[in-house]
Amino acid sequence: MESRRRGLVAMALCLVLATAGCAGGSAGGGDNSIVVGLESETTGWLPGQHLLTNYPSLNVAYAIYDPLLRTDENGELRPYLAKSLVPNEDLTEWTLTLRPGVKFHDGTPLNAQALKTIFDEYLTAETSNLLGPLRFVESMDIVDDLTVRYHLNQPDASFPAVLEGPAGWPFSPTAAAEMGPDEFAANPVGTGPFKFVSWTRNSELVVERNENYWQEGLPHLDKITFQVITDENARIASLQSGDVDAMQTLRQSSVRQVRELDDFESHDFIGNLAGGQLFNTNKPPLDDPRIRRALAYAINQKAILDLLGGSDLSPLATQWYQPESRWYSERVAQAWPHNNPAKARQLVQEYTNDPNRSDGKPVGAPVVLEHNIIPDPSVVEMGLGYKAMWEAVGFVHNMHQVEVAVITDTNASGDFMINTSRFSNEDDPCITLRNAFGDPAVTPTNYSNFTHPVLEENLRTLCTTTDFDTRYQAVENIMMLFTEFVPHTWTGHTPTAVGARPELENIGGWRFPDGTMGNGHPMTVVTWGQVRLAE
Amino acid sequence: MRALRSKLQRLVFTVLAVSFLTFMLTSLLPGDPARQILGGQATPEALAAVRDDLGLDEPLPLRYLEWLGNAVTGDLGRSYQTGQPVTEAILERAPVTLQLGVMAIGLALLLAVPLGVLSAYRAGGAIDRTITGGTFALLSIPNFMMAILSIYAFSVYFDWFPATGWSRLTEEPLDSLRSAFLPALSLAAVNIAVFTRLLRSDMIATLQQDYVTMAEAKGISTSRILLRHALRPSSFSLLTVAGIQFGIVISSSVVVEQIFAVPGVGRLLYDAILQRDLMMVQGVVLIVAIAYILINFCVDAVYTYLDPRIRHGTT
Repeated sequence: MESRRRGLVAMALCLVLATAGCAGGSAGGGDNSIVVGLESETTGWLPGQHLLTNYPSLNVAYAIYDPLLRTDENGELRPYLAKSLVPNEDLTEWTLTLRPGVKFHDGTPLNAQALKTIFDEYLTAETSNLLGPLRFVESMDIVDDLTVRYHLNQPDASFPAVLEGPAGWPFSPTAAAEMGPDEFAANPVGTGPFKFVSWTRNSELVVERNENYWQEGLPHLDKITFQVITDENARIASLQSGDVDAMQTLRQSSVRQVRELDDFESHDFIGNLAGGQLFNTNKPPLDDPRIRRALAYAINQKAILDLLGGSDLSPLATQWYQPESRWYSERVAQAWPHNNPAKARQLVQEYTNDPNRSDGKPVGAPVVLEHNIIPDPSVVEMGLGYKAMWEAVGFVHNMHQVEVAVITDTNASGDFMINTSRFSNEDDPCITLRNAFGDPAVTPTNYSNFTHPVLEENLRTLCTTTDFDTRYQAVENIMMLFTEFVPHTWTGHTPTAVGARPELENIGGWRFPDGTMGNGHPMTVVTWGQVRLAE
Repeated sequence: MRALRSKLQRLVFTVLAVSFLTFMLTSLLPGDPARQILGGQATPEALAAVRDDLGLDEPLPLRYLEWLGNAVTGDLGRSYQTGQPVTEAILERAPVTLQLGVMAIGLALLLAVPLGVLSAYRAGGAIDRTITGGTFALLSIPNFMMAILSIYAFSVYFDWFPATGWSRLTEEPLDSLRSAFLPALSLAAVNIAVFTRLLRSDMIATLQQDYVTMAEAKGISTSRILLRHALRPSSFSLLTVAGIQFGIVISSSVVVEQIFAVPGVGRLLYDAILQRDLMMVQGVVLIVAIAYILINFCVDAVYTYLDPRIRHGTT
């Protein structure tokens, strides 16, 4: 009896040790295969039906789909899957020619008819989420077998940038029609360097080498498993333990951890994306620029950034473009209302004693702020920092912890005073700034409701010319306007990192088919089709 | 038979109440599902079309009744976000969470039973104090902390188990056990403490019974007395609590599955809540509630079988 019990215990221990004993080895499970840890993914892979704009998902999307155009190392958009894109003189017609001989993963050809079907039946369908980006495109015509022409209802210099996004990722219309939208969304068929193999939602997606890829010699890898690991600590630990070969992070604290890892390389990137507080310029007292300027002057940005995880990682933001961007302006950086509590106090006093103050309260009554923040510990700490700084110059500050969904909804409905928010991205400035500051009557994403004749004029210039110097001037003029009218404040630009085994080469070194260098790995979006594993 | 019918009636009522409350509460959550689907740049027309498509403009009670009618036939609707049938999504993930639950409770019992018996046998001694102190420590560590600690200890430091990822039991059994071990251990930790303490106190009471003294007087070995004569009558509370804890393990899996990137029901629920996928939330909560009730129902039945006093209506 005794020995039987001991035997059972021994068996249990053996089972644990045996399962443990199988640990170790390469994450990819094969010589030329890798596992990549991502923060999140999308709900489906059909452009137009699913949101394919979050940065982790773009890692997968660029493996399965090829964009018609992509951005080079100088920030210029150039044809990638397309052979050329030529506008007419007034930028209302764009003629796109495809490369010959490109096939989708199902063997059907990428031609003008495929682009037309995709455009008509998916991208501009009644419930498409690309109707916003494509709102200036009236129609698309087939010119010949490999050429289509987009007709716009107004000049648009930023149109090429639309084709870098999901509206410019051709997918097999034959496969989509055969499977139906929902099934296709779970089994995407593109022209990219990798073919879709399998997907367990919110767990892992597997792709394998496309043997018939149109770019000779690519891809270098045989198989990639994209694993969704939402927990930051677990994702980093998976890299350390060898369960993944590479991982990405958009979190400041994790970037620091990845940089400090021995035996791994951190491929860093500072994004334009920056945090800040969004002001509803329709809502008293924030409809008065004096109050908005006072709020900016009251903030010690460096102290706020330290509360968020460290000013040493994140450059202070003063405009929509980070210091390394081609759109950055030193003049704007100087002009931004930097921390000056005395000036802030003076502006608050001016408003408080104004008999015509916009909030309708009597002279001398305190100025009350209603501030929504998300209930994330570091953001709450940041909110308390704002509270201290704003109350120090005379404001009464009420902080409300609300869900992200409430921020999204109140941004859209306009029922807020100050919302924690994020600004900017890597898109063309025309797209970014027109979405954020276009005419509030027709731009649902102008959450600040800020508008100004100088802004309108410069947006018009920015979106109707392709000359860089003219466009740069327009962006600078808009940014200078913001230093005066302050539609929102800033914290810092977003540091990001891809942590990887040193054997993984060319993480940020992708090139166009003609050899031109690409834009690296913006916001951790890696072009895995050109990454290789060292011998 | 009458008791069974009465239990079933209560079960149906509970499920209805759970489904009604979940439907109402999730519908009251802030956030527009249509905007979640289409993103910030959606035109008002597109938003209206999606709302119409999903039936979000219909009155809430009507939507509930329609959903309930379909649910009775096994159709829990389709995910707002993915279009996938909710039943299919749950069935895909249920085995994963079930495996985790079984492994967590199994692991907890495997460790708690010997510890509880030993602690009771040596009550008041050094071993008992050590085990009691250890269980207090386990009780005070939340499962997400246990998850992170176990990843750093067993994956990063010792490299024994994978930190994240999942293999299906039906496809790669050994890999599956490996990938499930750390999540199961994280879920088991609190239960080890609960089971050990519960068994210890019940065993101490049992060991003071006359028939145990009689057995000792007859010269029966200590191990036989502990395992054959004392453990079974001391296990009734343990069994009941294990059943209840199984349901709690399923709800705790929401956090643990996130950390270990395990594609189970917990993770499905978490993502559905974040994405305002109300149809999915509703379906998952209903199924979890039914599972919870059924488990307790089964525990009651087994309890009746194990304890002859209940079977014969005596105490």
